[in-house]
Amino acid sequence: MSADTNVSVNLKIWTLRPASVIWLGILGLTLVLLSLREAAPWLISYPKEWVIPIVSVLNTIMAWVVDTTGAFFRSVSAVLDIPMSAVRNLLTWLPWSVSVFILMVVAYAAAGWRLAIFTAISLSYMLVVGLWIESMNSLALVAVSVPLAVIIGFAIGTAGFFYPRAERAIMVTLDALQTIPAFAYLLPILLLFGFGVVVGLIAGILFAFPPMVRNTLLGLRRVPEEVIESGLMSGATQAQLFFRVRVPSAARQILLGINQTTMAAFSMVIIASIIGGSSDIGWEVLSAMRKARFGESLVAGIVIALMAMLMDRITSGFANRKPADEQTTETSFTKRHQYLLITLAGALVLYCASLIFPVLQTYPKTWVYDPSGPLNTAIDYVIIEYAAWIALIKKWAFFYLMLPFKMGLEQVISPFSWGFQFTPTLKIFYGIGALVLMGAAWILGRQNQAVVIGLLAIVLFFGLTRMPWPAIWMIMAYVSWQLAGPRLALAVLGGLAYLLMAGIWPQTLLSIYLCGIGVVLSFVFGTTLGILASEFEPVSRFLRPINDTLQTMPLFVLLIPFVMIFKIGEFTALLAVIAYAIVPAIRYSEHGLRNVPHDVVEAAECMGCTRWQLLMRVKIPLALPEMMLGLNQTIMFGISMLVIAALVGTSGLGQQVYIGLGDGDFGVGMTAGIGMAVIAIIADRMTAAWSAKLQERYTSNPFSSGG
Amino acid sequence: MQKFTKTAGIISLTMLGMGGAALADSSDPIKIAINEWTGQHVSAHISGSVLQAAGYDVEYVTAGAVPQFAAIAQGNLHLQPETWGNNVGEIYPKSVESGDIVVLGLTGLEPIESWMYPSYMNDQCPGLPDVNALIECSQLFAAAETFPKGRLITYPADWGTRSKDLVNNAGLPFEPIAGGSEGAMIAEMQSAYKTGSPMLVMFWEPHWVHSEMDFDWVQFPGYTPDCDTNPAPGIYADKTGDCGFKQANISKIVSRDFESHWPGAFKIMQALSIDNGTQNSLLLEIDFNKRELEEVIAEWMGNNEAVWMPWVEASK
Repeated sequence: MSADTNVSVNLKIWTLRPASVIWLGILGLTLVLLSLREAAPWLISYPKEWVIPIVSVLNTIMAWVVDTTGAFFRSVSAVLDIPMSAVRNLLTWLPWSVSVFILMVVAYAAAGWRLAIFTAISLSYMLVVGLWIESMNSLALVAVSVPLAVIIGFAIGTAGFFYPRAERAIMVTLDALQTIPAFAYLLPILLLFGFGVVVGLIAGILFAFPPMVRNTLLGLRRVPEEVIESGLMSGATQAQLFFRVRVPSAARQILLGINQTTMAAFSMVIIASIIGGSSDIGWEVLSAMRKARFGESLVAGIVIALMAMLMDRITSGFANRKPADEQTTETSFTKRHQYLLITLAGALVLYCASLIFPVLQTYPKTWVYDPSGPLNTAIDYVIIEYAAWIALIKKWAFFYLMLPFKMGLEQVISPFSWGFQFTPTLKIFYGIGALVLMGAAWILGRQNQAVVIGLLAIVLFFGLTRMPWPAIWMIMAYVSWQLAGPRLALAVLGGLAYLLMAGIWPQTLLSIYLCGIGVVLSFVFGTTLGILASEFEPVSRFLRPINDTLQTMPLFVLLIPFVMIFKIGEFTALLAVIAYAIVPAIRYSEHGLRNVPHDVVEAAECMGCTRWQLLMRVKIPLALPEMMLGLNQTIMFGISMLVIAALVGTSGLGQQVYIGLGDGDFGVGMTAGIGMAVIAIIADRMTAAWSAKLQERYTSNPFSSGG
Repeated sequence: MQKFTKTAGIISLTMLGMGGAALADSSDPIKIAINEWTGQHVSAHISGSVLQAAGYDVEYVTAGAVPQFAAIAQGNLHLQPETWGNNVGEIYPKSVESGDIVVLGLTGLEPIESWMYPSYMNDQCPGLPDVNALIECSQLFAAAETFPKGRLITYPADWGTRSKDLVNNAGLPFEPIAGGSEGAMIAEMQSAYKTGSPMLVMFWEPHWVHSEMDFDWVQFPGYTPDCDTNPAPGIYADKTGDCGFKQANISKIVSRDFESHWPGAFKIMQALSIDNGTQNSLLLEIDFNKRELEEVIAEWMGNNEAVWMPWVEASK
């Protein structure tokens, strides 16, 4: 965990490092606190009387805001409704043949024939399964929210570039917007802007503009000094310098921002359909989900995944094409506007044709094929045939992994679960065993590992949800101190204080328990898969479409089969978390390993490294920063999944968010939402600090790693 | 799949034969809320079809269960013919109090809310549906994580804690597990039903699952208003708060300006009534026989003129 696991051959068992002394103190103090839990129950469960009434404060503020500024927000909403209705009406009015044609030309212009064909196939799928209108309604929402998000994001990013003082405030806001679960701010948007399609639009903009800000800032900042100087020398004014020099030089990064903004807007539009008013594809998924129709929800979910992939490929196609495109600016009018002309001509021809052949106007209902029946049958088959196996897997996961971590071996071990009683003698053996392991690690000079073993032994014995909060505070504060110094430690303590005093500490621990197991498993399995994928091409080819689907498909869809197979409860929620959080772990580790410089690999091969040595000694250490970024993202994905996992019956912060949404209680939902943001930001800063530390160690000498 | 799009008023004027538009007071479309479940779709489309028959323009708008109250209170939606009186959150009672939402009376549906189990459990536990027999058989319903207690799926946490309260008050040998969401509860019901495994779940009627699967209601001693203070009623003579569940009301609600805007439609909606039998038979057609909602409703309208014509007459 901490600075140096620097092992020399001579064992210095008795030279205590100060960090280790402090750790031993913390472990001892934790045990003392645990022994006091009967006498002072407030160490475990924070008393209700000490809770600061954040919920009612938030509700009072919200009521005041709605009362005083309601009219203003309503008029904003009315203004936004004009372009929204226009685009929506246009897209649903256009004959499908015309829309398909236009989108194909756009795809071709972005990335060539292959994408155009993929577009045609995807759109045909939407037609064939009979979800065309719903798809167009979703597309309309994205089509309106993305340009607005891009403009807002670009403006804020530019402001941040010119006024570095504003930047800090901007970054904090962005962090909050991206980590507070979207479900928590649907209700305030509804209260402020009123009901309707505009809610989805605004939620989409709020969620989608942060990546645009980040990329704009990054792009503008990376413009080389020489370029600016040459601009200045040729006598550019400030405005010219900005629009003619800085922005074009930053274009690639800005276009990447547009791409990410599109994807974010799209994922948000789906979530926002929980409000209703738009009869879009998200509503279809939610309705099917409510009816537990796996087949139907998967069919609609695939539409979403296809649309997301299309938008991603098209926007990134444009982003990558840009530089090559510049030569066309000097050619003739027809040449410059060839795509526009083709589009217009083709659309006109098809439109006229659709007036003659109504089949080209509205896709006939009789041609609709609904593949949901066979899908439902397939799930039934699994449930019935593998019932015994499923029960066994679940039992194992519960008794040997989840419950010990949650409630502690102390509570879990019983004749029914483990087949024997956890007698006092056995408990003493457990303690001795832990001490022996710690001692062994210590003698080997690995004092940090000894501390980790001690901590794990304590948590497993007593259970995370039964740990005294002062102990958790101490541990977290000291870890963050060691990672990045007193500032991080103070920030972490502040975050923990919020979670405790807002009265959501028990839910926080439940969330951390579920998310923690999920993240560890995702990272272990995901990294293993990523390593395999980087070493063996077929594995990579097999995993890629699965990753794409898991990331773009709304995860509501997966919940239904998971529940049908594994029943309501935490195990199903854990699987849902893993299904989502494993993707970044796979992606980042594969990407990192593949991008190890060739010359280094060749050099190592020349030195006679075996494949295993090459991997363990060269590639993994070099790919470590990227793998740490993968861990960071795994945690973020895991946390964001908590809200969705609550739909299958978990009790944690995610459930609080729903209680807020279900009761129309802004304060409850927002308090929990901020709590999740706090956890996410703490986790982000700590992993970033850890990664920086590791990088420091490895970059100094990448070959001297390990023991 | 186009069930949410506007249905054309095929049945409207021709059937009435008297140019119902004369009744219509405003030509603005009446916006009817469409929730996520089929029972409500039936109520909404019956209401919409009757209003269309009387010459009104209607529009169906999808809306989530809580957002719809904000929408009706703000006048963005106008009519919700099936409002369940429990789990309505905070916006609904506040808006009714302030007059932004007007309650038109009961829809006519009689909801049942209680614990239920698949009918095949009757063989394994003789004495069911009586609650005392259920208590005797509680271990039959146990799962690994609840053993030796029985596993009870309750409503999602955001729908209140009535089952948990009953278990605690009466000290019943069951472990309440929050259902998470309606979809998750149904998914588990389907899974249990297909494998013939035991299951106990808090659920409600009218609901389309009853047309797909046979579940029986646990019989509790009836609810009395003094149950929480008087130990006598309920499962045990010495415990309070151990009665069965208080049953919900289902009401028709409209927006504040509905009456002034469409006085005729207001009277039609006051008269309109839908009972469990009607809704269940239509649910069976839609969810079990997989027919189109519009088609089923149009057929009902065609066959039941005697039922709905008096509602239209009531508007005059």
